[in-house]
Amino acid sequence: MNVTPLGDCGRGRGFFRTALSGLVIASAMTLASYSAHASDVTTIKVLNWQPGGAKYWAALVAAFEKANPTIKVELETVPNDKYLEIQGPYITTKSGPDVMENNEGLELFDRRRAYAKLPPDVLEAGKDLLTYSGGCLNFDTTQACYGLPLGFQGNVMYYNKAVLKQAGLDPESPPKTWDEMTAACKAVKAIGKTCLALGMMGAFPAYWDFPEVARNYLTEDDMRAMLAGKLPWTDPKMVSILKGMASITEDGWANSSAPSITMLPDGADIFQSGNAAFAGTIISDAVNWAAFGAALGDANLGAMKWPTIVANAPLADKFSGSESSVFGVSEWSAKKDAGFAFVKWIAGKENAALLTSIAGGISLNKNVDKSALPKSQALSQILKLIEKPTLHAGALLSGQESDALARGWQEVSLGHLTVEEWTQRMQAALAASPGKR
Amino acid sequence: MILSSSPPPTGERERGLSVASTLRSGVISWLVTAILVVISVVTLYPLLFTVINSLKTRTAFASDPLGLTWDITFENYVETFRRMDFPRLFLNSVVTTAGGLLLSTVAALFLAYAVTKLRIPGRNLIFLFIISMLVIPSQIIIYPLYETILDLGFGGTYQGLIFAYAAFGLPISTYLLAAYFRSIPDELLEAARLDGAGEIRILFSVLLPISAPAIAALSILNFVWMWNDLLLPLVILGGSDKKTLMVGVALLSGQYDVSIPLISAGLVVALLPVMVVYLFFQRLILPGAVSGAVR
Amino acid sequence: MADAVSELRQSSSPGRADSKRSFTHREAIVGLLFVLPGLTLAILFKLTPLLRGAWLSLLETRGFEDPTFAGLSNYQAMVRDPVFIQAFRNALVAFATLPIWIIFPLILAVLIFQRGPGWKFFRAAFFLPYMIAPVVVGIMFRQILAPDGALNAFLRASGLAPLAIEWLNGSDSSLLSLTAVALWSFFGLGVLTYLSGLATLSEEVIEAARLDGAGYWRLLIHIIIPLIKPVMGYWTVLCTSGLLIWMFPLIYALTKGGPGNSTMLPEYLVFTTTFQFMNRGSGAAIGMALFVFVALFSAFVVRRMYVEGSGKSE
Repeated sequence: MNVTPLGDCGRGRGFFRTALSGLVIASAMTLASYSAHASDVTTIKVLNWQPGGAKYWAALVAAFEKANPTIKVELETVPNDKYLEIQGPYITTKSGPDVMENNEGLELFDRRRAYAKLPPDVLEAGKDLLTYSGGCLNFDTTQACYGLPLGFQGNVMYYNKAVLKQAGLDPESPPKTWDEMTAACKAVKAIGKTCLALGMMGAFPAYWDFPEVARNYLTEDDMRAMLAGKLPWTDPKMVSILKGMASITEDGWANSSAPSITMLPDGADIFQSGNAAFAGTIISDAVNWAAFGAALGDANLGAMKWPTIVANAPLADKFSGSESSVFGVSEWSAKKDAGFAFVKWIAGKENAALLTSIAGGISLNKNVDKSALPKSQALSQILKLIEKPTLHAGALLSGQESDALARGWQEVSLGHLTVEEWTQRMQAALAASPGKR
Repeated sequence: MILSSSPPPTGERERGLSVASTLRSGVISWLVTAILVVISVVTLYPLLFTVINSLKTRTAFASDPLGLTWDITFENYVETFRRMDFPRLFLNSVVTTAGGLLLSTVAALFLAYAVTKLRIPGRNLIFLFIISMLVIPSQIIIYPLYETILDLGFGGTYQGLIFAYAAFGLPISTYLLAAYFRSIPDELLEAARLDGAGEIRILFSVLLPISAPAIAALSILNFVWMWNDLLLPLVILGGSDKKTLMVGVALLSGQYDVSIPLISAGLVVALLPVMVVYLFFQRLILPGAVSGAVR
Repeated sequence: MADAVSELRQSSSPGRADSKRSFTHREAIVGLLFVLPGLTLAILFKLTPLLRGAWLSLLETRGFEDPTFAGLSNYQAMVRDPVFIQAFRNALVAFATLPIWIIFPLILAVLIFQRGPGWKFFRAAFFLPYMIAPVVVGIMFRQILAPDGALNAFLRASGLAPLAIEWLNGSDSSLLSLTAVALWSFFGLGVLTYLSGLATLSEEVIEAARLDGAGYWRLLIHIIIPLIKPVMGYWTVLCTSGLLIWMFPLIYALTKGGPGNSTMLPEYLVFTTTFQFMNRGSGAAIGMALFVFVALFSAFVVRRMYVEGSGKSE
């Protein structure tokens, strides 16, 4: 019978001792932090995915607490791609955070039972914003509003002037129509570069590329009908949008890897490395204009609207803007007043300044000091574009619809699916959407 | 009758092997080495990829994702440590992972022993029940799990996560230990019992040393997934300051702001403790070089 | 020592009956006490949520409105859903690769077990992929498998240009790629597991067989495999649950089920249904179907191992 060297048992016991002492230390630290909270200060828990980055949020909390000395903010930050998984159980158990974040539009509306309606004095802060309808039911500010937005988000077509010049095109006059774009792409491909850097994986295509094509065919009333589930995908307007999206790859604009790569970071990296002429991506948060400018040189970067298919469409000239992060107070919160104060502050001027200076985000606040913004041609072009906002069609899609849209687009691009079949799938997704029945 | 369940002493084994190797032709052994080298390259290249990328700037990565760069920068590591409260997160991870590992191993030891060596009613049923708990997809129980944790009052606590880790690691651990114990002949235990040893003593003095390789393999397996897990810590601890190291690393990538070099740096930092644990335990898996068990 | 034991057994036969009875009683109590901690953990944190999830699968959940009882309608809708059917078809295809998952690490483990030059290095190298978090694995392999990525560059350079296809774009090749990447991630764990199993093998038995003139394959198939069957059974169950459950983070990082639904697997469908489609009831139904499928298969493997285990003699 073999006897173990004492080492094994000893190691086991040492391990146990370390674990036990670790637990004790951890519990002590926890108790210490609890006792530090004074009783005349309200602490609110804010669930968020840190849009704009950690540095910005540290500054935000510091500035807010300075302006509101009786309120302390406890951030509960979770990664964006896990956000809905974590928020879901909080909603079903009606417990947890006092303030929560969601994307505007359907994502927020589907969760409206978890939010408290904003009282009139908080809504006052909304008047300073370019728009805040994304947090209001049916995008109608006269109906119930559940949150105020942090910043403005949307899609533009960035272009690399050096690549355009190399392809023999005029860098100061990039293509404005779909046909001009197709011709430009031929020239770009002739010099061995990708024309449009594109990634179709995940939810990006549905949310950000769909509205750019949809603006050619829909009016704002059409969009409201879409939200209510009253505009079927078999309608000729909707089919035209799908056909438009399909023609991006049919006309050879994009890289062949598009169906299986992400837009961020894969697609954006193709553009950023100077290997593509165009990239259709977002304006804020990841500070694409700043990152692209840093990589390609500010003088080399331009930003424009996506090329139009129907040049004189009612919304062709407008900007599909999305209030990308809407903050509201949870229905079950016991500290609603403090929560509302936070929401009001989010929409305020002070936060707007922080957003642009630290996070490079685009704010909705009309009173923000434009002269303090960085000098970049692409940024000034963007700021001009956002002056005429319209509804964002991507925010009108349910989870089923954006999933079917993205997957269908991938398959159509690979030739595995026809547009007719894609339309059928979209219609089925609409029928299965709980918020649209 | 040969009591064959304990590792033989080193000397015999090495003697046996050298006899064996002369029987094989040199060509085959070179071929074997070549195959192993090729497979190693395939497994090591991506790790090398991660380390190299962690030393690139963002633009350098965009222009050349798969290549080397001579422009080495440590800014990603600096940024990682700046964004994460590294000592705190590291402590959180260590406490919860070590706690979960310890608890699941101990519980599994007791369970495996009881199910294979003690005669209790319904032991096969208990065993099958525990194994079937292995195959529950975590996605379907996320909502109910959170509700259960809240009901038990463990929301946002270390112990909540430790218990959850232990419960999730239990089926695997029990299964492997039971497999090991079953191959240990009962006579060994009988002898110990007749010597007057109690059940606990038998478990820890007789079975534990013999199953050291299994426990080592289990510890590595469980440690890695517990350390790397994102879902359980997020559900149980939320985004509070008790969050684990991997959650902190996941937060290095924002909604739109995905910097591969930064994530790579975070991952290298999170990988180091795992490597340390691996090196610590792997000696037990093949106790060749160690002075070995005394007969 | 062996003789002493058999002597003891013979000599104590008459008195053994008595001590055996009371021994059994005490043994049962001790046994149940031993089983208690593990059982409590499993019941509280796995069984209870599972039962609650099963109940959830019988409800109709429309977003976050109050759920209503719906009986089996979630299951009925599920089997008519083309995406669900494709997901399970993909799962069966992935399942068909199971033999590779079982045998390949075993062969490597036996090779390393020979302690040829650098065996420690190989063992560590093979295990590294398991330690890398899936998000980085996904990003890496998207680059490596891109149409002009490293793999295709290598294939073209070695004259295998026709094989340099668009790996992640094709419906079959994407599933194959996903499975291969998963295997890359997990095989090192199998090597480690088998090594720990091989460590308990009796050197004498192997030596005896070798001296009897058994060749390498005979040794492997007739001697080694039967001796480590329990470990093989364990690894099989682990791979099964790995293929059908633990692969989720990898799918999320590499393909998100795409392009289209070619790499959609049931565990990913549970995720999209529950969180993107806001349909917890349907998600729970799919999850329950998955659970039953995997549990049945695992029980089958375990039972076979039982038959082996209890019938095994040394």
